Amino acid sequence: MAPIDEKDPQPLTSLERISRRVFLTRAGAAGVATATAAVAAPLSAQAQAPTAAAPTEAAAVPGAVPVTLKVNGSTHRVMVDPRATVLDTLRETLSLTGTKKGCDHGQCGACTVHLNGRRVNSCLLFATMHQNDEITTIEGIGTPEKLHPMQAAFVQEDGYQCGYCTSGQIMSAVALLKEPVGADDASVREALSGNICRCGAYPNIVAAVQAVRHMA
Amino acid sequence: MQDQAQKAVTESRIIGVSTPRIDGPLKTTGTAMYTSDHNFPGLVYAWPVIATIASGTITSMDTARAAAMPGVLAVYTHENIGPLYRTPPTQGFSMIIDERRPPLEDNVVSYYGQYVGVAVASSVEQARAAAEAVKVTYDKRSHNVEEKLIGTPIAEPGIKKGTARGDVTSAFKNAAVKHDAVYSTPNETHNPIELHASVAVFKDGRYTLYETSQAVVNHRDVMAAMLGVPPENVQVITRFLGSGFGGKLWPWPHAMLAAATARNINRPVKLVVSRSMMFQSVGHRPAIDQQIQLGAEPSGKLVALGHHYVNHTAMEAEYDEGCGEATGFLYSCPNLAVTSGLVRRNVGVPTAMRGPGAVPGLYALESAMDELAVKLKMDPVQLRLLNEPDKDESNGLPFSSRHLKECLTVGAEKFGWAKRTPAVGSMKNEDGATLGWGVASCAWGAMRIDTEMSVELLQDGTARVTCATQDIGGGTYTAIAQMVAHETGLPVAKVNVILGDSALPPGPISGGSWTTASVTPAALDAAHHAVQTLLVSAATFPNSPFKGKKPAELEMVDGTVRAKGSATPQLTMAEVLKGANVKGITGTGKSQGTFGAKEEYSFHSYGAQFVEVTWQPEIARLRVSRVVTVIDGGRMLNPRAARNQIEGAVVMGVGMGMLEGVEYDRASGAPINASLADYIVAVNADCPHIDVTFLDYPDYKLNALGARGVGEIGLAGVAPAITNAVYHATGIRVRRLPVRIEDLMGAPMHLA
Repeated sequence: MAPIDEKDPQPLTSLERISRRVFLTRAGAAGVATATAAVAAPLSAQAQAPTAAAPTEAAAVPGAVPVTLKVNGSTHRVMVDPRATVLDTLRETLSLTGTKKGCDHGQCGACTVHLNGRRVNSCLLFATMHQNDEITTIEGIGTPEKLHPMQAAFVQEDGYQCGYCTSGQIMSAVALLKEPVGADDASVREALSGNICRCGAYPNIVAAVQAVRHMA
Repeated sequence: MQDQAQKAVTESRIIGVSTPRIDGPLKTTGTAMYTSDHNFPGLVYAWPVIATIASGTITSMDTARAAAMPGVLAVYTHENIGPLYRTPPTQGFSMIIDERRPPLEDNVVSYYGQYVGVAVASSVEQARAAAEAVKVTYDKRSHNVEEKLIGTPIAEPGIKKGTARGDVTSAFKNAAVKHDAVYSTPNETHNPIELHASVAVFKDGRYTLYETSQAVVNHRDVMAAMLGVPPENVQVITRFLGSGFGGKLWPWPHAMLAAATARNINRPVKLVVSRSMMFQSVGHRPAIDQQIQLGAEPSGKLVALGHHYVNHTAMEAEYDEGCGEATGFLYSCPNLAVTSGLVRRNVGVPTAMRGPGAVPGLYALESAMDELAVKLKMDPVQLRLLNEPDKDESNGLPFSSRHLKECLTVGAEKFGWAKRTPAVGSMKNEDGATLGWGVASCAWGAMRIDTEMSVELLQDGTARVTCATQDIGGGTYTAIAQMVAHETGLPVAKVNVILGDSALPPGPISGGSWTTASVTPAALDAAHHAVQTLLVSAATFPNSPFKGKKPAELEMVDGTVRAKGSATPQLTMAEVLKGANVKGITGTGKSQGTFGAKEEYSFHSYGAQFVEVTWQPEIARLRVSRVVTVIDGGRMLNPRAARNQIEGAVVMGVGMGMLEGVEYDRASGAPINASLADYIVAVNADCPHIDVTFLDYPDYKLNALGARGVGEIGLAGVAPAITNAVYHATGIRVRRLPVRIEDLMGAPMHLA
């Protein structure tokens, strides 16, 4: 994408989210509570122009403990509340907000990530207990420019509506490819029943997963 | 400027063509920004303190311990939250909120889970721990969460009369064949997977509120009134919405808590409502009892239809579910009456949930029609066909476009209905399990809401489209891009759509299945005006090859400008703008709402639901195995997204029929199954085989596109088709949803 011209700031658009990722990468995201600028109207741009990365906000949190997390191949050293889950650490401390919170109780699957290659509900894991594990999130699977085949299949088959459960559905679906799951649709349905889609896009989710399995 | 006609929308390479969602790559990579994904420097977290009684007053709140906990910045109660106002009475479709009492207004508690305080801290863990450490002392009063509604005291002003014609009382009394029964539906919750959330930024007297809202413009107006600031000081943003199903239409108290705490401590505040709180304080479809009285001639012709319903509401709200929504016009019947009443319970405030009124109303009516068919020894499809009206008998208006009979006949054909044997338990599948086949009709109203849209054609060859309306997940981003692509000839990929921001041109709510019918004409209009202005530029800029031509002699085809009927010379949109040294050309568009206007037609979508259940009495296992849905919803602008919505609605219907219902604990008054493990919604394995058919009858009386909208119609009729199928399989008529195993334990093991 075009470099950002400081003198002529284009209002970012809601569908132009990559810039934030670029920003995060440049800023060296670890431990940074970042400003986002997904605002379209000039009025709001004035009201809350994104500032440079704030000083490590988490460090100022009383009682925080140091944690080292390996996420998507990068090592992050951050200060978190000892009660912090992997989910909240990803979202609130690392600003990896692709992983979603739907219930915080391991009941909906929206927060599914891979832990050493296996799918888990990140809301059920304490960050302090997974410092030696390889965590993979939806951000580590693919990007809008370079979709993982499963992500491409979800787009192709319309395997979502609102998109909120989608990160978890895709993380489950990618993990499923390596699991002993029967070839039929019913087996896929069963294996994906830990991921609730309240919009009910289940037929298309199954179609997307089967399309990728048939490709393999 | 000489205006030209818009391009014909009936012949389009893009409108009416299945189009992948333009936001798909963002949704599948976790890069779409939902409300709680917004983080800001200095952001802190709020967690509400909830009432643990259902009725009474707070006598004291001890916040000292909570306030002294690590990281805690503030703890607020009704004594120190600061000003929060009620919305003033308004007229028409504006400033809507169901729970009008601001949070922490006083010390009164009228439902379990009501917010009584809020803690703010540096981390979400600290905020939650502090909220839970607040000690609240109550003067507890007795509460009422009784599920029985009909036969209990009706709230003032008593029974209300709805649509009526003829003399239903005597017609029913004298009818040759009668059916009279009460049907009950429980409190159902929307439970979108995205938790309700608010991220409030307060700076220099202005609020920027990132909200989970199906209606950012209304949300802005309500929040301004409740915070006591001018509306221009509030901006509400919902870039992506993790659905809502009505639960996110109107603001809920957590939004005021987030905004008020951000104001009080002057830092950005994030408040994410917990899943258990989503059973308490963000609305629900109320519990309802409905009495249906049907009278018919032996031929099956309806002569009397009485529909009397009572729904629960909260202590301080007058939420009427409107169950008679479809009753007045679905069938021809000379004598008809709908009445309603409210009963007060110590529950959170109810609100509209997907297909409000019609969905539970049709559960009752379509169940009763099935029971009447049994009494008449008549096929239930035939009974419905026999009672088809030729106009809307509730108001005398002609139907804009109604093809319910065709929905029923096409559905029967696709389902294989002719093979149905009417005797209970008489059908088996190849594995020996009992099959039950049921049918129900459905209907849902269509409307347009005022919409404004802006389309800017830019030098970089893209179009930028803006509207305040938000995409709930139905595909609004994509539908708007399709319209602009159609009118400009640009590829969809070159159309950048920006939605979900109250600072943009005002757009409709994402509700009522009205969004598509409202936004698409405005998008076409705006794109058309932008193109017209571009043609003026093309005809006038220095060195233009079209110099001397009138704009009306030019046209835009495939994103390029040329003289009509001549392939050369041609200029791209970008070349015209560069030649004229204009960065962008803007066109604005509007579409007029039908709300409050004099109606000339009865606008509704129709459908038929055919359901097969598989029943294994030996293990009491009941599954919805197959659904055939035929929808008469006008023209489908993006058939792929439309099909997805109907399939999803059928899945929700399986939940409504088989799984969903909030249970209140009589002792505490709490909704006790307040989690996704205990309030069961349909998962992937519950999904039946679904076959969706759209009848292709554009409704050009509603708009030039002929589109009505499909958000709700697919849910209507599913639950009664399920219970009708359950009767066919088991002989047991379930008149209280959801169907439970214990309802069926008395079913005979061996039938037929």
